[in-house]
Amino acid sequence: MLKFSKSHEWVKEDAAIATIGITDYAQKQLGDIVFIELPQPGAKLQKSEQLGTIESTKTASELYVPLSGEIVEVNSDLVDNPQWINESPYDKGWLVKLKITNHSELNSLMDESTYRELIAKESH
Amino acid sequence: MPYIPHTLQDIEEMLKVVGLSSLEELYAQIPSSLRLKKPLDLARGGSEFDVKKRIEELAAKNITLDKYNSFLGAGCYDHYIPAALPYMLSQPQFLTAYTPYQAECSQGILQAIYEYQSYICLLTGMDVSNASMFDGASSLAEAVLMALRMTKRKKVLVAEYLHPEYKETLNTYLSGFDFTIQQVKVADKGILEKDVLERYLDDDVVCCCLQSPNFFGLVENVERVSNTVASYGAITIMVTNPMSLAILKEPAELGVDIVCGDGQPLGGSLSFGGPSLGFLAARKKYTRQIPGRIVGKTTDKETKPAYCLTLQTREQHIRREKATSNICSNHSLNAIGAAVYLSLMGQQGMKNVALSSFQNTQYLYQRLKEIRGIKIPYSKQIFNEFIWEVQDAAAVIAKLYEKNIIAGYFVGRIFPKHKNAILSCCTEKKTKADIDNFIETLAEVLHGETTNI
Amino acid sequence: MEKLQIFDKNSNSKNTNYINQPDTPLAELDKVIPKSCLRENLPLPNLGELEVIRHYTSLSSSNFSVDSNFYPLGSCTMKYNPKLNEYLASLAGFTDIHPYQNADCIQGALELIYNLSQALSVITGMKRFTFQPSSGAQGELAGLLMIRKFHRINNNQKTKVIIPDSAHGTNPATASMCGYQVLTVESTKDGLVNINRLKEIVDDKVAAIMLTNPNTLGLFEENILEIRDIVHKKGGLLYYDGANFNPLLGVTNPSLMGFDVIHLNLHKTFSTPHGCGGPGAGAVGAGDTLEDFLPFPLIDKRGDKFYLNYQVKNSIGRLKGFYGNFLVLVRAYAYILRLGEQGLLRVAQVSTLNANYIKEKLKNQYEVAYPKRCLHEVVFSCQKQKERGASSLDIAKRLIDFGIHPPTMYFPLIVAEALMIEPTETESKQALDYFIKAMRDIDKEIDQDLAKVKTAPHSVSVKRIDEVKAARFPNLKWEKSGD
Repeated sequence: MLKFSKSHEWVKEDAAIATIGITDYAQKQLGDIVFIELPQPGAKLQKSEQLGTIESTKTASELYVPLSGEIVEVNSDLVDNPQWINESPYDKGWLVKLKITNHSELNSLMDESTYRELIAKESH
Repeated sequence: MPYIPHTLQDIEEMLKVVGLSSLEELYAQIPSSLRLKKPLDLARGGSEFDVKKRIEELAAKNITLDKYNSFLGAGCYDHYIPAALPYMLSQPQFLTAYTPYQAECSQGILQAIYEYQSYICLLTGMDVSNASMFDGASSLAEAVLMALRMTKRKKVLVAEYLHPEYKETLNTYLSGFDFTIQQVKVADKGILEKDVLERYLDDDVVCCCLQSPNFFGLVENVERVSNTVASYGAITIMVTNPMSLAILKEPAELGVDIVCGDGQPLGGSLSFGGPSLGFLAARKKYTRQIPGRIVGKTTDKETKPAYCLTLQTREQHIRREKATSNICSNHSLNAIGAAVYLSLMGQQGMKNVALSSFQNTQYLYQRLKEIRGIKIPYSKQIFNEFIWEVQDAAAVIAKLYEKNIIAGYFVGRIFPKHKNAILSCCTEKKTKADIDNFIETLAEVLHGETTNI
Repeated sequence: MEKLQIFDKNSNSKNTNYINQPDTPLAELDKVIPKSCLRENLPLPNLGELEVIRHYTSLSSSNFSVDSNFYPLGSCTMKYNPKLNEYLASLAGFTDIHPYQNADCIQGALELIYNLSQALSVITGMKRFTFQPSSGAQGELAGLLMIRKFHRINNNQKTKVIIPDSAHGTNPATASMCGYQVLTVESTKDGLVNINRLKEIVDDKVAAIMLTNPNTLGLFEENILEIRDIVHKKGGLLYYDGANFNPLLGVTNPSLMGFDVIHLNLHKTFSTPHGCGGPGAGAVGAGDTLEDFLPFPLIDKRGDKFYLNYQVKNSIGRLKGFYGNFLVLVRAYAYILRLGEQGLLRVAQVSTLNANYIKEKLKNQYEVAYPKRCLHEVVFSCQKQKERGASSLDIAKRLIDFGIHPPTMYFPLIVAEALMIEPTETESKQALDYFIKAMRDIDKEIDQDLAKVKTAPHSVSVKRIDEVKAARFPNLKWEKSGD
């Protein structure tokens, strides 16, 4: 089951490994993604630290990590295929896998219906 | 009024549309305390005839370089400019257009700049060039800022024999931050040596900036420098004369990371030093740190080849305080000029200019050596200029001026170590007779007669 | 048809013969310079002169320019570039002088720069000018570094620079380049700096505020003296971005408005051509507080001789090799002499009249973003058009089919679907009427033939450009085919 952050990342947890991406709403707001910069595997990040940078033709935004942990895998195919984030944000467009260090942080994330309420508010 | 086409009737009609009865009322919202109380204390506007004459008179007060047998260089070089070049740059649809934000009605500008970028990459061997900077000095400063963004290190090394005005500009650009700039002394041969360089290198060094050919014309051993610098995890920034690249090895092949310099030798007039252009090119991995505009080739929506400004998220109008630089206007027209010059000269012409400059300079070097009392401190491993020393250099320069010869740039003012040195340059425009005249007159000035040399 | 690149047109022509063969004795390159330092090949094309001229003539002909098209690009002041100025800038007496010639050889050049500085002092009320900066942005850098050094010398602990949310992107980028943190001050619903908010955020850490007046909405910051007092009271200084100075020539000046340091874009207000993006020149003027901080060298006069003065007490140093974009200065000086005091005032008035005329004539079709009287430019919001299916981008692109260069789009950032229109004083009423009709026609077209607007332009050699592809797969230089 997916969980969501206020800064529009999604998290899928499986055996203490969290797969992280940006939501469909976020990719639509950004427009055509042209470039993404992600950390190297092994990087240890605290919750809400900068995860990387994402760029469309018109804007550049920072990505934040919704959970503390160590990056164990990066979707390096995105470097050559940034459009996957637009086309398939929950599948081929995943960004990183992270080994969770503080499981309780998961509880601070939203479930799908809460997240839907948030974006309904934001888009008005 | 010149350049304002409106008739009084136009103005009245337009004021009526706006709902006003006088031009004065357009400024009603400006508090009266801010209004100028009397007309600007300037002369009345002149007729075109008058203004032309007045400014022609100012131009005539200058003594142009062609009135002298000149050996001035030092960063601004007197190469021949084909007549076709200024003609091309005066084309109104280059001259009076602005930055090609609207790609669909600016394809020609965009292609011309893309070709400029390609030319710079061909000359330097680099992967990416921007669409131009202001000049050589500020492009060096921007190259260093690029390097500083990529690391947390704080120390910038600068070779001693880098153009003094470039060093001053770099100091100014970095003065807002707490970075250290250290000057790396040259060794006896006038170039950087590995063992000396290593004394300055540590793991706080961001980059090492060198110029080759350096300010005194000497070709540096760039590869040895870049290898040494790289072994400390720092990057090498090289300033160069693009004309020298017609014969010298591509900086990319020498391990340089960022190359920059002034494009004036590529068809730019002297013009009291400006406007010329700065060029800046780098390896692919630095693409997103490059300052300024970049043109890319793409297609239109019907897949026809087309060009546009690209990677714009680096730039100030999108990223604002997080931009790679504040640069907005650049020197596109001069960049297009450089591309036209390179196209006119071609491979053959470029080689001819570079080799002729080289050969003439070697001849001058040889002949100066023959004069009693002249000391040449460094080797002849030079491109188009070198320094020589003579007792009371300033006085010698002044005496030669009287005989219509400009011996070169007086080095002593800036480099106390060479307080009696003169930097002399030859381009392809110099003839054997020019050089012989210089040598003979110099001998006469020094020793009273020509046979004594 | 795709225009081939110059590199694909190599004809191996080697007969250009622009220079003489040297008559000095042969020097062999590889006997003097180690082989490891020499290049093996120089992969440049060889073409005949006509081939080169045809190539670039063809490229030049596919661009819109002031000489060929109405170019109402907001904040860029695309006024007519007088041809006299081009002629004067091409005189050998200006193009064939070397920056390191003796001062005796360059008296005319120094006198011209000196006179230009004096004229700009009269026009702006500022005490002294430098012409070293090559552009507005470099002028901002000079000005902010001067402010920084002023605070440093006076031991003021300053860390922040205030910039309105309507500002040009160069302002925050410059503040960052000077190591300052950027604080944004919001605009009021009238489009002016929010004074109450400003009072809240100005503290003694504020080094300066950077302002454009009229601002990028084309509106005069009426409360400028109050802003000055708020900032000065806390020891901050005022920087004037002169990008929009055109409508104020002879009306008011930045010195009266309380600015400590300013830049003027000579390529905007003073008519020098924009050259596909430059060169321009950013003249920086300082008042009493900052005069001693200007970059060196300055041009001074001793007796009747002009000279380069390197003794500038607290100078921030140099921003450029040599002395600035001299040929741009020649043009700007000629422009000032041509217009004189009355002409410059008329420039200001008519540029303002032109913008207000457009505003009045289009206000029923396009929503005026801020209703206050504008000066040299007017900003519309195409929200209503967007709701009917056409964005400001679509409208801008459709203008190309009318032979009009699109206005500035999506700027300032605080206006949704912005179109920012600056006609300048050099456009006739007829040219404005043609533009107004085009804008009205496009507005009607949105309801009648939306597809035509959405797929514009139709009259130039390419359709809309795929900028996404350009950014995703950067192709930034020519490669030999087959590579």
